[in-house]
Amino acid sequence: MFIAIRDLKFAKGRFFLMGFVVTLVAFLVITLSGLSAGLVKANISGLMALPVTHVAFEDTDHPGYRNTMIERYMWEGWAAQEGVEAMEPLGHTVFNARTDDGEPLEIALWGLVDDSFIAPVVNRGVTYGGDIDNGVVISRGLQDDGVDIGDLIFLDRVLTELRVVGVTDEYRNIGHLPIIYAPLAKWQEATYGPPGGPPPGEKLPDIVFDFVSVIALRLAEGTDVEALDDELETTTLDRRGFYAASTGYESEVQSVQMIQSLLFVISAVVIGAFFSIWTIQRTKEIGLIKALGASNAYVLKDALGQALALIATGTLIGYLGTLWFNALVKDTELPFMLEGKTIMVSIVMLLIAGIVGAALSIRRVSAIDPIIALGRDQ
Amino acid sequence: MSLTAENVSLVFGDGGEQVRALDGVSIDLAAGQLMAVLGPSGAGKSSLLAVCGALQSPSAGTIRVGDIDITAANRGELTRIRREKIGFVFQQSNLMASLSALDQLLLLVHMRGRRPGKADRDRAEKLLDEVGMSHRLRHRPGELSGGERQRVGIARAFMMNPELLLVDEPTSMLDQQRGRQIVELLVRECHEYNVATMMVTHDQNVLDCADRVVDISDGRLSERTTA
Repeated sequence: MFIAIRDLKFAKGRFFLMGFVVTLVAFLVITLSGLSAGLVKANISGLMALPVTHVAFEDTDHPGYRNTMIERYMWEGWAAQEGVEAMEPLGHTVFNARTDDGEPLEIALWGLVDDSFIAPVVNRGVTYGGDIDNGVVISRGLQDDGVDIGDLIFLDRVLTELRVVGVTDEYRNIGHLPIIYAPLAKWQEATYGPPGGPPPGEKLPDIVFDFVSVIALRLAEGTDVEALDDELETTTLDRRGFYAASTGYESEVQSVQMIQSLLFVISAVVIGAFFSIWTIQRTKEIGLIKALGASNAYVLKDALGQALALIATGTLIGYLGTLWFNALVKDTELPFMLEGKTIMVSIVMLLIAGIVGAALSIRRVSAIDPIIALGRDQ
Repeated sequence: MSLTAENVSLVFGDGGEQVRALDGVSIDLAAGQLMAVLGPSGAGKSSLLAVCGALQSPSAGTIRVGDIDITAANRGELTRIRREKIGFVFQQSNLMASLSALDQLLLLVHMRGRRPGKADRDRAEKLLDEVGMSHRLRHRPGELSGGERQRVGIARAFMMNPELLLVDEPTSMLDQQRGRQIVELLVRECHEYNVATMMVTHDQNVLDCADRVVDISDGRLSERTTA
């Protein structure tokens, strides 16, 4: 790095500009990672919080939460299987709703059994299924929208009335919609019962309570899911699969990942182009030091060290910029979440892309003939 | 002998398009002796420097620097020979733009795989002092005149105690007076450090400084009996 360090000091303006470009690319890449993670969380935080290994859907080629119906024999069948450590039926329906102030809401109503192992942690208030038969727990996101404990929520079309009794500790969403956790019976009434509930003095027919949407499963490792699916007429997906079954999840993640991939390519090309031009401009000097006895390894090490220093510094500043951006948007509605693992992956990918781009350009120093130091063409 | 060349030829091209840049050249150059090689453009001066400086392999003949046959060396060995045995003073001084005068010399130490220490700095400063550059140690080439750059180039050439010094047209970019000063400096350093020096030039005015003069024409050498 003897020459590299002195070059960096000597050509400050040139390297500052290039470092600035690397910083911008790093900022964009890490910010996109944060947006990607934020989008994922905004989409499926309710699913991410489930302490399950699998979710079983109605048997179909394209399982999704909006087009699945599980019958009682299916979940009872799953409950009786070996390898099933925990199992619960789960109802999911998307509703338009209104608060008692008339504010419109779009929500996902989840029906859970009492004392459910998948029930959310309640931060304020109490959990659903207590003394109040229509008591529900709302996602923190709804609280941010002004809904609070004691408020009433009316589901459109079915005219079901829900009373807020608790708020979750975190944002709990599915398909970008806030989740309302209700007793399973209330969910079944709202989803399969007549508008307004049963007529006074009457009960809903029992068949209403024989259906849910999916089955939440915690399976022991090695459980033969396919065989059980065949037997119980379900389609069971692991964590990655049941995330992808949420509306829009796959396309959102793929879009952001594609943009990230393009940014990696762009950074490799930009850094490669810079070092390509830099190497061409230095051809005479490289010829000189080779004439003075510098080996190819010495010249390559020096040049790559210079590239690495530039890329690492730019990336570090870009990362610090992202931390600043994170602090800026922390309390806003922007779906943004920085995670150590995704940041590390982004930084490492960027470093690799930059070094590959630089290395491809710099390798031409091996071909420079020291004879040019005598003023002769190669 | 520090440099011995025997019947060296360098041929470019093939078939009917062949150009003989060097044609049966033989040289014996002793330590502490400065030999001027005089010739017009295209006579083969640069080719002679290239093959003696391990920058190019001759088509035929053998060249020895000290006791090493450089014509039998591979590419990596040639690089090491240039690093350890040969010093160069180039036509346009050829300094690294980003390095100070002092760093130009210390770079050679670093290229040998050592971090320059105090002894290296002292030696570099002494050499720069000898060529009259002690007041410009921290200046980069862009801040030096042509003559000053050439002086730094000379100091650099002596930094690693070379066995052979090859000098390429040292006066070509300088006026007559400064050109002569540079050659006198070269001669002094060559004698002081006992280095075999071959200087190619087309400048007749500096020939009296040399210990020996040879003419080169069409790739052939002929020794003058008096300088």
